[in-house]
Amino acid sequence: MSMVQFLFYLMSFIALASALFVAATKNLVRSIFMFFITLLALAGLYVLAMADFVAITQVVIYVGGILVLILFAFMLSGKENLNYISEQQNKFISIGKLPAILLAVLFLIVLVNVAINIHPDSLPWIQKSVAYKNYIQPDAAMTENIGVNLMTRYLLPFEAISILLMIALVGAAHLSRKEAKP
Amino acid sequence: MNFYITYFIVAIGLFGFSAIFALFGVYAERKVSAFIQDRLGPTETGKFGSLQTVADILKMLQKELITPAAADKLLFMMAPGIIFIAVYLGFAVLPWGPGLAPSSLNLGLYYIFAVLSIETLGILMAGWGSNNKFSILGAMRSAAQIISYEIPAGFAIISVVMIAQSLNLQVISAQQGIMASEKITFAGFWDVSHVGGIFAWNVFRAPHLLITFVIYFIASLAESNRAPFDIPEAESELVAGFHTEYTGLRFAFVFLAEYSMMFLVSMIAVVLFLGAWNTPLPNIGAVQLATWTTGAVWGILWIAIKTLALVGVQMWIRWTLPRFRVDQLMNFCWKVLTPTAFVCMLISGLWRIFLM
Repeated sequence: MSMVQFLFYLMSFIALASALFVAATKNLVRSIFMFFITLLALAGLYVLAMADFVAITQVVIYVGGILVLILFAFMLSGKENLNYISEQQNKFISIGKLPAILLAVLFLIVLVNVAINIHPDSLPWIQKSVAYKNYIQPDAAMTENIGVNLMTRYLLPFEAISILLMIALVGAAHLSRKEAKP
Repeated sequence: MNFYITYFIVAIGLFGFSAIFALFGVYAERKVSAFIQDRLGPTETGKFGSLQTVADILKMLQKELITPAAADKLLFMMAPGIIFIAVYLGFAVLPWGPGLAPSSLNLGLYYIFAVLSIETLGILMAGWGSNNKFSILGAMRSAAQIISYEIPAGFAIISVVMIAQSLNLQVISAQQGIMASEKITFAGFWDVSHVGGIFAWNVFRAPHLLITFVIYFIASLAESNRAPFDIPEAESELVAGFHTEYTGLRFAFVFLAEYSMMFLVSMIAVVLFLGAWNTPLPNIGAVQLATWTTGAVWGILWIAIKTLALVGVQMWIRWTLPRFRVDQLMNFCWKVLTPTAFVCMLISGLWRIFLM
């Protein structure tokens, strides 16, 4: 087994195991901190896929931003809410979970089906890329590529997302505003 | 297999460096504070008290590791490690001289920005794990402060990157001296590609970066929780903030992280604004001062001098200015620094289009 394969299986194992822990544990704070390990393992997988920019962005946005916000929300919420969550009865299979189980099983079927039928080595576009040596080298600088593509080919989605974020910002500013004195 | 061994040696060397730096940083801090407050500082242990911090660390290593009974033991135990490792990871990409960097990533700057944000998580972990009101308050304050000040710091970094057109710290360094492969101009009009020296530094290549440098420096003080931004550990209100409950080796790690962070942010400031490992001496006609003083060994010397000078300024500020109040801190960040950083970024764009 080559080093890359070994690292891939190691990272995948860490990601899956920590994700299971996040879902299963009753200690909410620990599950949030465990989520941090899941995210770092995912970043490692991105690096293995030579998407280093995505990996670092993942760490900046999820670990530095979203995870800290989740922790804030957790630490600022009242004790009753948290007790209610941890005292919930936890049967593995119950009627309330039926839609979730159905969805999960259907997704699993789709994924397994794709994995069996796709034959990645014989896809025409992959064969074409291999023939023209059109693939990313480990030392390639991809940031320029991402920037140019965002500003040309994917300009419309990019602008749409920025408008969405702007709306969210304005909304947040409006909500946190003090009421004007009557 | 050989290069793996090299990696390990480099990593251990960097760890040793940060430990020694913390040791003498604490000593320097005590002497500087003593000078500013007209005292003597440590004098007893060793010549001029120079062995004081060595004695301190020996004492700290022998201390008992006390874990509070009500603490979340796992989180409490792991937090100092995570805080230190987050800072230590940043050392991996710092450039020390021409061709001398532990890892010359082409996303180096972004990488540092990313790993430093992990530190917040370690601080929150320490605060929550201690199960102490002072700790949790300190941790919350610290996280809020670091997240807020990351924004002006980020925009300051972006305005440099727009001028430099690269995220690779080695490329950014090489651009600021006689080793540049492109034409560099002092303030946009005087070609200094072969003069080098202080005129080729980023702050003088585009003068608005002077303001950006000040913004970055202030934000970096806040990110390393140094006075006047040390409300996370305001000893008059919170005992010691998030590390109230830590003793012995764990406390030593928190301290090590703080001093490594000071060095790291100063070094980033030097790389981005003050010419990295380039010499401050320009070529004047036949007197080729810049050419004579550029090289691997000179590079290490220059970057170390500049970084230590910035660390000295951090200490000077700490012992001169009083602490901010929380609301002043947030107002300053959101109403002064962030808009100014935005304007600097805008100027960077215009500068790039019209003057470079």
